Amino acid sequence: MSQPPDHPQHDQFLRLYAEHEVALHTFVRSLVPTRQEASEVMQEVIVALWQGFSSAEEFRPWAFGVARNQVRMHLRSRLRDRHVFDDELVNRLADMAVHQEPKHLTEREALEGCLQKLPQSQKELVLVAYTKGTRMDDLAKRRGQTPMSLYKLLHRIRQALLDCVERTLAQEETA
Amino acid sequence: MNTDWHELIQRHIAGLTTEEEATLLQNSLKRDDAVARLYLRYMNLDVALEAHAGSKAAVTEMLVSPSQIESKRRSVWLSWRPLTAAAAGIVFGMFCTSVVFGFVVQRGLEKKTPLAVVQPSFEDAQMLLAKGFPDASAHWGGDAAHLVTAEHGVSAKEGKYMLRLEASPRGSPRFVYQVLDLTSIPAIARADTREIEISASFAAADAESAMRCIIRAFAVSEVRENLDAAWVDHRDEAIASATRGLDVMSGSKGWQTMSLKIQVPRNARSLVLFFGVRTPDKTLPKSAHYLDDVQVSLIEPLPLP
Repeated sequence: MSQPPDHPQHDQFLRLYAEHEVALHTFVRSLVPTRQEASEVMQEVIVALWQGFSSAEEFRPWAFGVARNQVRMHLRSRLRDRHVFDDELVNRLADMAVHQEPKHLTEREALEGCLQKLPQSQKELVLVAYTKGTRMDDLAKRRGQTPMSLYKLLHRIRQALLDCVERTLAQEETA
Repeated sequence: MNTDWHELIQRHIAGLTTEEEATLLQNSLKRDDAVARLYLRYMNLDVALEAHAGSKAAVTEMLVSPSQIESKRRSVWLSWRPLTAAAAGIVFGMFCTSVVFGFVVQRGLEKKTPLAVVQPSFEDAQMLLAKGFPDASAHWGGDAAHLVTAEHGVSAKEGKYMLRLEASPRGSPRFVYQVLDLTSIPAIARADTREIEISASFAAADAESAMRCIIRAFAVSEVRENLDAAWVDHRDEAIASATRGLDVMSGSKGWQTMSLKIQVPRNARSLVLFFGVRTPDKTLPKSAHYLDDVQVSLIEPLPLP
């Protein structure tokens, strides 16, 4: 180990990281094709953030800059994949994602209530589908569905959730 | 061509797009702000649902331990961050085992210094409450709030008075606000931020109705005198912000206390606080909620021996 442990700095870093983690994850997820890749990139982001962390000042823009660099490095190896966006689009989405984050935060809050409104069977399906390690084809088989019909059902649920979030926020704005 | 963007974006998320569809989506994301915003909303939803599924799994595990009741009651949505554990592992992994234990102990070694909140327990019956955002005449402002004494079986948590947040017809949140002056708070040596903890207690007039209590804090560089109602529309420009929600299940009687911590940058001169409650189930009859015992503290880590 090259440097002595600095407890207050660990504490400060972890608190700052915890505060921004979901925003950073959403940011990374917006720029890479799959959830799995987003998780992998996030691991790299955490390490890079800790290695470069020296001060809490301007942590947020710095952290998003680090995350953007990690995404770029990751995408370089996958340029031929049609699901990978080019640099121009990655930069555009990255800028928009940073700008939209406060709105995304309120949407995540509203989502909790919207999930509660889903029929029980749909709530359970979302939970299982988004649990780490779940394979859609296995899940479809267990439910006696084709993968495509499961995909369409999840599509309808996600769209319903987005609609519900939009309605909820509109009501809160006008209250 | 009439493209269903919801469908196309979701096909992209699932990795199901054809070459032509992928090109169409990329071009549209570059040109069309509305499509790009919708795409980002879906990505936000994707991450949130993944976190939610992780939280539920964690809560299921916690159910075996009665000592975790308080943790379960907190909103898993806002409090559980799956990757934070990984972050801790990575950071701690750089050090020896004894340091890990040292860290755990050290988290309790904090000095709390109460900061001056105007009317934290609403004990001045003549207290002025501005409509909406606090103005020069009042330190507290609110959407629809009144000072009351005990009613509906609810007594003030501290003293005689409490603040009643009137029910919103549609269950939307009612907020009250206070702006704290940070200019007199001393900076912590060698620190670029100051940690501030805000706590408040909430109660429902109808204990049979679930409620969601919310605290929001915004650190801003402007002085208090320069902030007015127009600021609310620009709150996204705050230099730091934090939000926490507490979901209280129906049947929970009495006061529910929650707290929020925010890292306030050194250049922040004001802290805008929002306290709110809403009724998640909009089908239930609406009733009032109460706020009392607001506390704000500066948290300073104590040096290790």
